Formats: sequence, C-alpha cells, structure tokens
Amino acid sequence: MAFIPWKNKQQENERGALSPMVALRGEMERLFDTFLRESFASMNWPTWGSDKWSPAIDVAENDKELTVRAELPGIDPKDLDVTVTGNQLVLSGEKKESTEHNEKNFYQSETRYGSFRRTVALPDGIDTENVDAQYANGVLTLRLRKTAPAAAKRIEVKAG
Amino acid sequence: MNQEATLTKPAAEQSESAERTRSGRCYRPSVDIVEQADELLVLADVPGAKGDAIDVKFEDGTLEIRAEVAQRQGDEQGYLLREYGVGDFYRSFRISETIDASRISAEYADGVLTLHLPKSEAAKPRKITVSAK
Repeated sequence: MAFIPWKNKQQENERGALSPMVALRGEMERLFDTFLRESFASMNWPTWGSDKWSPAIDVAENDKELTVRAELPGIDPKDLDVTVTGNQLVLSGEKKESTEHNEKNFYQSETRYGSFRRTVALPDGIDTENVDAQYANGVLTLRLRKTAPAAAKRIEVKAG
Repeated sequence: MNQEATLTKPAAEQSESAERTRSGRCYRPSVDIVEQADELLVLADVPGAKGDAIDVKFEDGTLEIRAEVAQRQGDEQGYLLREYGVGDFYRSFRISETIDASRISAEYADGVLTLHLPKSEAAKPRKITVSAK
C-alpha cells in the first residue's frame, strides 16, 4: 500500500467502493468461523448497517478463576462499562473517534468506532462480588474467582 | 477448539525483507489513515502489545510497523471461548517523497499506535500571490 494517492482522485473512488466489500468479507469470515465452533443460537450475529461493532473475546478457565479478555484498542477506560447481573456478564462501551481526526478525510478506514455490547453467560460457582478488571495496552482483562465448591454430602441409604 | 481465530485480524503479508525471529502467527493490524493539512496520521490497532515492544522502521522508502505481543496465558488453561488469536503484528507501507521521512514520529496509547507523517515542504499547499502590473 502506498501513501502516494492524494493527487489521484480515481483511487479515492476505488477505495470508497471497496471498503464496504472488505467489511462484508470480514463479517462473513467471522460468521463462518463462529458457525464452525459454536451452536447456531449462541452465534454472534453481525450487525450490518448499524454503528455497532463487536469486540473479540477470549474466555478461559482454570481451577481457581475464570478469565475474560476482550480486544478493545483505543478505548478510554472511563468509557468501558462492566456489569454482572445474575450469571450474565455484560461488557459495553463506546469507542470514540478522537476530535483531531473526525474531519472524515480518510485515506483508509479499517478500524471500528461506535458503541458495543457483549454478554457472556457465566458458569455456576463464580464469586460475582469480587471481579478484578484491568485495561492495559488495548486489552481488557477480567478475572472472576471461583467460589469453593460445596462439599459433597454423602447420603446414606438405609436398607428397609 | 484449538483452532486459532483469525477473523478479526487478518494474517500479515510477508515481505521479502521481513525476517521473523519468533514463531507463531503474525497479524496485519487494521489502520486508519487520515490526511490533515500538514501531515498524514496513521492509527494502527495493535491490542496487547507493550509500548516498548513496538518497532517502527523507515528504510528505502518503506515504513515498517512491527509489534511483538506476548502470549497472554499459559496453554494449560481451558478455553471456553476463543475468538481472537494472539500473535505479533506486522505491516509495511510504501512512503512517497512527499513525506518528510526524517520527521516521522510515533506514540502509543491504549493499544493504538499513532504515527505522524509530516508532509515535506514541497508537498504542502501554498498560495501563490499574483502580482499585478
């Protein structure tokens, strides 16, 4: 890719025509990839035609905690909202365009701006009171500790 | 389930000059390029990279962005959901002579690398006064 094009109006038009297709392809890849791994209902459906976008997340667990990570580059941590209701973890927020470049004279626009919302269903046995949330280098990391599992109670069966 | 998701981050195109010293996937960061009166602004999303692990190099008219991303977790953790792959970022741009390469500067905050590419004096628009006789 070259930085030469500002004299070339034709190239600007070409790019304008291309970018929706690039966006569509990205959404399709995401859709198919999710389709191969997820059940149909839990798919993260694309949101064409709205200013919504959807950050990619990882959810991992070990025997002590559940870790949720979201790639959210360029977000002011103040614009991030993390809530736990029942067993639903909701990440929402907005990626704002900085004022210095909202004049819309883009050569190339590949990143996404606007509001987003992701809901993660939490498994049982999570201590929702003590959630540790950190944002560093564009990645939000949530650590949710597991509560001690209820000790198995042995029930004696009496022979009648 | 172990399949790495590449959906949100396309793989980087490898240039002949790129020599990789680390194994693993390499992604192509999404960029916005904005023209301003006296400079071009490049905003590249490189989430997960630490500021000191980003290498911006200008050589032979090519600007290279390279960002190393450390693996975020040990592989012993069980994944319930894995939507994005973790790997380095690489992208290169050809820079025309209308950019003053000696004054290119970069800053990094919240996973976004911002490059300032100042236009050279010759490329800046200037008004020419017409002197009437």
